[in-house]
Amino acid sequence: MARILVIDDSQVIRDLLADFLADSGHFVDCVEDSEEGIRMALAGSYDICICDLHIPKKNGFQIYQAISATKPKLTFIMTDSLPDSLADQISEAGVPYILRKPFDLDQLREVLATVCASIKTI
Amino acid sequence: MSLLGKLFRASLRLKIVLPISLIIAVSLLLISGYLIDRQSAGYIQELEASGRTMLRMLAINAESGVLFGNKYELDELLKTPAQFESVKYVVISNTDGATLAELHESTMVTAGLHRKSSNSPVHDSIAVELSNGSDGEEYLVLSMPVVTFKQAFSTENLGITGGLDAATEREVIGHIELGLSLDKVNQAIFEAKFAAYLFTLVVLVGTILLLAFIVGAITRPVRVLVDVTDQVSKGDLTQRVNITQRDEIGHLADTFNRMIESLKQSRDEVEQYNRNLEEKIIERTLQLEEAQAQLIQSEKMSAIGQLAAGVAHELNNPLGGILGYAQFTLEKLNKNIPEKTTAKEIQSYIRYVSDIETQARRCKTIVQNLLKFSRSSRTVDFADVDVNKAIEETLSFVAHQLHLSQIELDVQLDPKLPHIQGNIGQLQQVFTNLIINAMHASKPGALIVITSRYSPALGEFGGAVELMFKDHGHGIKDENLKKIFEPFFTTKEIGKGTGLGLSVSYGIVKEHGGEITVTSEVGAGSTFTVVLPVQKPETDSDNRKEANYSFGQ
Repeated sequence: MARILVIDDSQVIRDLLADFLADSGHFVDCVEDSEEGIRMALAGSYDICICDLHIPKKNGFQIYQAISATKPKLTFIMTDSLPDSLADQISEAGVPYILRKPFDLDQLREVLATVCASIKTI
Repeated sequence: MSLLGKLFRASLRLKIVLPISLIIAVSLLLISGYLIDRQSAGYIQELEASGRTMLRMLAINAESGVLFGNKYELDELLKTPAQFESVKYVVISNTDGATLAELHESTMVTAGLHRKSSNSPVHDSIAVELSNGSDGEEYLVLSMPVVTFKQAFSTENLGITGGLDAATEREVIGHIELGLSLDKVNQAIFEAKFAAYLFTLVVLVGTILLLAFIVGAITRPVRVLVDVTDQVSKGDLTQRVNITQRDEIGHLADTFNRMIESLKQSRDEVEQYNRNLEEKIIERTLQLEEAQAQLIQSEKMSAIGQLAAGVAHELNNPLGGILGYAQFTLEKLNKNIPEKTTAKEIQSYIRYVSDIETQARRCKTIVQNLLKFSRSSRTVDFADVDVNKAIEETLSFVAHQLHLSQIELDVQLDPKLPHIQGNIGQLQQVFTNLIINAMHASKPGALIVITSRYSPALGEFGGAVELMFKDHGHGIKDENLKKIFEPFFTTKEIGKGTGLGLSVSYGIVKEHGGEITVTSEVGAGSTFTVVLPVQKPETDSDNRKEANYSFGQ
């Protein structure tokens, strides 16, 4: 059980994640706009942020940079629809998890399990 | 043209035969005229000489007859000249003018004539005259006095030889006149003239025929040469001069034949060369067109490559949705116990599967758009093009790329825009290129304005469609502005652009009979304006294509 913020400009991805994560017993908030997402992340107390890398205004990397300093406990799972676009940059910046779209639900489940385990240990 | 002029332009044969014949005819006539003159003078002299002899004989023998007025004796005397055909008349008269005797009465002729004869007693003073008689005939009239000798009849004197000396005295006692006919002379002259004319005519005709034959023999090959030259000058180089004679003409004919042969060879070579050249031009033109088509296609592929990120992103989201919902639904159904399935759960499943369907359709549209865009630009067929629709389709394709690059788009399309004649694939390539360029020039958050409007004043017939692609990017430096439509000119990093996008776009717009222009200000942005005529004007390249096509057939 975790509190998750989804930032993605794709309606279907937001719907899917909302359905799947809620079904898995998590608390989910979804947002389309990147700046709105940053504001919500900073204002709320989320454990996990599933964020798309390619979204208008601020991309996933910029969102991470805007939040990570203030919310060090917030774990980022970056979704990326392009091969090797910003992957190296993101890894270097310390984003722990990258999921390539289209991802399997098992992949997401696995990542979430790992993240939740680490949250519990903390 | 006068007859003379025609004559001078007439054939060589006439030019040679006519003057020579004339010269010969004139010469013959002059010579024969001269000879006839001489001959007739001779005849007359001969006649005169015989006349003189006869007259003298008559004068001597008539002495006693005249002296004694013995007419009988005189008539007897005149019987001798009567035997001569040429003697027309003889008149013997006394000094009073009374006729004592005459042969063939011819008073009309003699009247007054005898008086002209001298009264001088010189015995041989014969008067000669050519005279026309009243009957129209010409006579040679000879007259002389009849003389007697008065002497002192001394017997001693009679015995002396040459007694007719100073002691004797001559006395004119009458006149004798002899008229000789010129008939015979005239007849002879006439015959001579006739013979001369006949001879002249025969010689002339002979000369003309001979000359005509000789000149003909010379000019016949010349005429053949002239005919062949005529044919050759009209372009028929298959003609040959068929002259085998071994003289200058034959040599000329040989030379001429060789000349035609080498002329024909040269012409054949030139024709062959031209044909080869034409074939090469057609071949090269086809190659060039093929190369241009390939260039356009490869540039389009390059554009697609640049749009790949947007396409991948656009595809991966719905695919993610499909994959996720399919797995989620399967998991739910696998765990599901049919008897305990609630209506709410079924509603959820329906929504999941509907989402899958929707997203699959979206993928299909994206793939279709991609295929539509990447369809070959090699077809050069022109058709009705709704430019607004072409822009919208292009935007549907690049929109996500712009979205990713965080570019704001302001599209203002004129709803009353007329359709134009064009190739939609090629035009979309131009639009894509201009939009991608604008996107590359722009910073995130910048605005790109795309407008279309109808300009009735532009273009030749039916006006033109004017499109503007305005960005607020970094702009183009003045020194680069002139070069941007040149092939391989690029300011992008190596590997980021081919440098062919704008030059290909330029070529496509030109092919549509349109114009593409640019204005730019460094730091403020650039505006590309594309003007496309509603009716494509006829161009040389169209005609060439048609010509090629018909050649191909």
